Amino acid sequence: MEQTELQVEIPSVLKQTSCQNIKDFDYVDYGNGNNPNPLENAISDKESYGESIAGSKITKLELQEVVIISLPASPSGLHIGQTKLVLHSEKCENTDQNDTKNPYPQLAKQKKFHSQPILVRENGDRKVVHSEAIRDHRFDPFKTWSGRLERQISNLRGKPTQEPDIEAGASQREEIEEAPGVDRYFDALEGPELDTLRATEVSVLPEDEKWPFLLRFPVNAFGICLGVSSQAILWKTLNTSPAMSFLHISPMPNLILWWAALALILFVSFVYLLKIVFYFEAIKREYHHPVRVNFFFAPWIACMFMALAVPPSIAVNLRPFIWYILMTPIFILELKIYGQWMSGGQRRLSKVANPSNHLSIVGNFVGALLGANMGLKEGPIFFFAVGLAHYIVLFVTLYQRLPTNAALPKELHPVFFLFVAAPSVACMAWAKIQGDFDYAARIPYFIALFLYMSLAVRVNFFTGIRFSLAWWAYTFPMTGASIATIKYTMAVTNVVTRSLSVCLSAISTFTVSTLLVYTIVHAFVLRDLFPNDISIAITRKKPKFSKMLSHFRSSSADSKDFDSSISKNSEI
Amino acid sequence: MAQNQRRFNVTNHQIPIPTLHQSTTNSTGTDTGTSTRASKTASSSDLSILTRFHAGYFRISLALCSQALLWKTLAEPTTDARALSSIVRTIPSFAFILLWSIALLTLLLLCLLYLVRCFLRFRSVRAELAHHVGMNYLFAPWISFLMLLQATPFLQPDNRLYRILWCAFSVPIVVLDVKIYGQWFTQGKRFLSMVANPTSQITVIGNLVGAHVAAQMGWKESAVCMFSLGITHYLVLFVTLYQRFLGSDSLPAMLRPVFFLFIAAPSTASLAWDSISSSFDTGCKMLFFLSLFLFASLVSRPALFKRSMRRFSVAWWAYSFPLTILALAATEYAQDVKGVIPNVLMLVLSVLSVVVTLALMVFTALKTNDILPHDDPFVCYNIARGTST
Repeated sequence: MEQTELQVEIPSVLKQTSCQNIKDFDYVDYGNGNNPNPLENAISDKESYGESIAGSKITKLELQEVVIISLPASPSGLHIGQTKLVLHSEKCENTDQNDTKNPYPQLAKQKKFHSQPILVRENGDRKVVHSEAIRDHRFDPFKTWSGRLERQISNLRGKPTQEPDIEAGASQREEIEEAPGVDRYFDALEGPELDTLRATEVSVLPEDEKWPFLLRFPVNAFGICLGVSSQAILWKTLNTSPAMSFLHISPMPNLILWWAALALILFVSFVYLLKIVFYFEAIKREYHHPVRVNFFFAPWIACMFMALAVPPSIAVNLRPFIWYILMTPIFILELKIYGQWMSGGQRRLSKVANPSNHLSIVGNFVGALLGANMGLKEGPIFFFAVGLAHYIVLFVTLYQRLPTNAALPKELHPVFFLFVAAPSVACMAWAKIQGDFDYAARIPYFIALFLYMSLAVRVNFFTGIRFSLAWWAYTFPMTGASIATIKYTMAVTNVVTRSLSVCLSAISTFTVSTLLVYTIVHAFVLRDLFPNDISIAITRKKPKFSKMLSHFRSSSADSKDFDSSISKNSEI
Repeated sequence: MAQNQRRFNVTNHQIPIPTLHQSTTNSTGTDTGTSTRASKTASSSDLSILTRFHAGYFRISLALCSQALLWKTLAEPTTDARALSSIVRTIPSFAFILLWSIALLTLLLLCLLYLVRCFLRFRSVRAELAHHVGMNYLFAPWISFLMLLQATPFLQPDNRLYRILWCAFSVPIVVLDVKIYGQWFTQGKRFLSMVANPTSQITVIGNLVGAHVAAQMGWKESAVCMFSLGITHYLVLFVTLYQRFLGSDSLPAMLRPVFFLFIAAPSTASLAWDSISSSFDTGCKMLFFLSLFLFASLVSRPALFKRSMRRFSVAWWAYSFPLTILALAATEYAQDVKGVIPNVLMLVLSVLSVVVTLALMVFTALKTNDILPHDDPFVCYNIARGTST
């Protein structure tokens, strides 16, 4: 056996490890009976890795030291690249496990970032591992049942599978089963939607690679449904309300928008359902995210918008059982989320309140409006009362801008438009419950109008903000305000109110069309509509070398546009 | 002193003592030594019932008096309780009078005990007044008296004695209002953001019960006055409690049953507004629905109450009163909105409240040892005051 000694100057970060001591790393079993097939253990949880079991073939070699660098797959701070160094030398040296090249031992525990050992041997059987095979397994902890569902399905489809490594899988599962606590989300993320990773944090998934599409599909996507279906309501109201008959709007826009919204809802729901089936762990993490949890109300609100916007040619009177079906998930979600505000440990409202919480409140008012439209009496009042009580709490908390509040953006952001949503829908709901647009309905209407104006005059502050899918969710408050204005015009008809209605409707339609253009551009031209969803990939514990990381990140090229550069490289 | 602190913080049934008095005891150098020794030798046999008793025991009277009121309301001929009326009317009226008398006797006994404690253990009473949980329970006797008055079979609301009694019971409530609500926004150590906890809703309930009884008597202005006091402070308190500021005094795990007071406050408001406006209008319905929602929310979180349910204590009595008030509100709702669901709701809630109260009475009878704590909950304060004076 020829042993080559390579004198390589190893940077201080890289040390030689003993292949015997560290089970986690790739090391070659050279037929030494002592090691219980470590390589097979290490790699055996990868499904289609069959061809790369170099260890089983190398039976005649002595135990050699294989220095393998297992970097975190996203060496964003370290920028050393995907180096794969393999050194052969005579003996193993015992080194302290802490001196490993992997400065993130907890990452190694959580995710098996096995490097790809390129075993170069003299007798030349090069086994180069295909990178695709490894990439699959990095996402295992985010998959349902840690990837076992996929393996079952592959089994059923007749594909050959690898024996899962029970040990590695078990420790993986232990780490991943618990989603990070709410404190971790606040520590690790920043930005008004809590979607940008701080410089001191790492992601558990590779940041510079395109993740599977399902994993990149956030629950914010339901915001598109909200935006389009609220437009459908707007055009229906413009068509049917007698005060706006001077515009002579035809029923066509309502019909087209309604069908488009229906198609969108079905598509987004289908994709998200697939995500629930295949990536349930990722769903759990989204649910624990302080901002994203509010978007779980969005599908039901969108369905209720569809019921409100149904064109007269399709259906006039909807059955009440639809209302019960749609309100049940909202009720259950509410019980959970409001209960957490009241008594749920760390999720204190003074800490986690953010404008997206309005989405959880609006559901109540939309339900009340829909129920009143259908002719129900007590149900709408129930949800109106619950929504009103919690809206008062949330409104006061957000207006206070408490110093303990970690989630409110310091600068202006489209998320603030959600403030307009609740009062505008509440006024419509109350008007419908009472039968006419009385003073108790006008008060929230004027509040909504005031909030809208105070945001609209600051519109120039909204420029320069990175586009994201969640912006669609912020268009429905504008549309809601326009619809409320139309209803107000029906009660108080004069030139001022009419022109206000026209103006607001025009603004909202313009905004939605602009957003549609942006979305299409990002989807098909720039291909970054679904960037890597960093916010669900934060580590459970703070990385130990966070300071070193931040130093490295800040010294790298463009650390600020880090996310945008990644998203440019990735495809949809 | 710290040792004392630790000892009291460990025994769960104590009310934890805020640490702001620590500086006063530490500054009195040698005295801390003697006081520590003194409290070490004080065992449960040495401490009399008076020292161990505190205003929280009025929960029992709240529960019993509200039960009496519930029975009276259910038995009223105007109550259109198809299912319940047949059951309730078969119960002879003497049983109801018995319940009322038991409630009255319990209340009188507790008041007497507390009066004696005021005279003999004034330091403890002062300590209690300063405590963020204890001070709210000073409203409890007056609320119980008002409810008993409302439930009395002997007097009619337009009777002169009835009105005099109402005044006698409401004036202390207003006086306490001025003291405690004034503290909320003026007195540094006792700002609302620091002292707010679920038991603060008892102050609100006091005002609302006073308004309820006043409206039934026909005194609309006093009723509206007390109602507005109650509802305004309820609004502020509701928001503050939901915000759960980090700096606010937290409730010990043994006192978690008082979370049920979240249910009681809107139900009482609903009842009060119902008698003021003479019909169960939308506002009343909204308040009732809010309390129903809060009930569903608390009932679906059993983990919240697990620790407090390990051992019987007087805090368990905190479950009964809110459930009874909710049942009362449901009764009024069913009266106004006739239908199957409101009646079923009323039935279920009334049965639940009766069962819970009976269970609590049985538990109290079986575990009389546990009903009184083994240590003086306010002794730290006593020592602090003792050494400093």
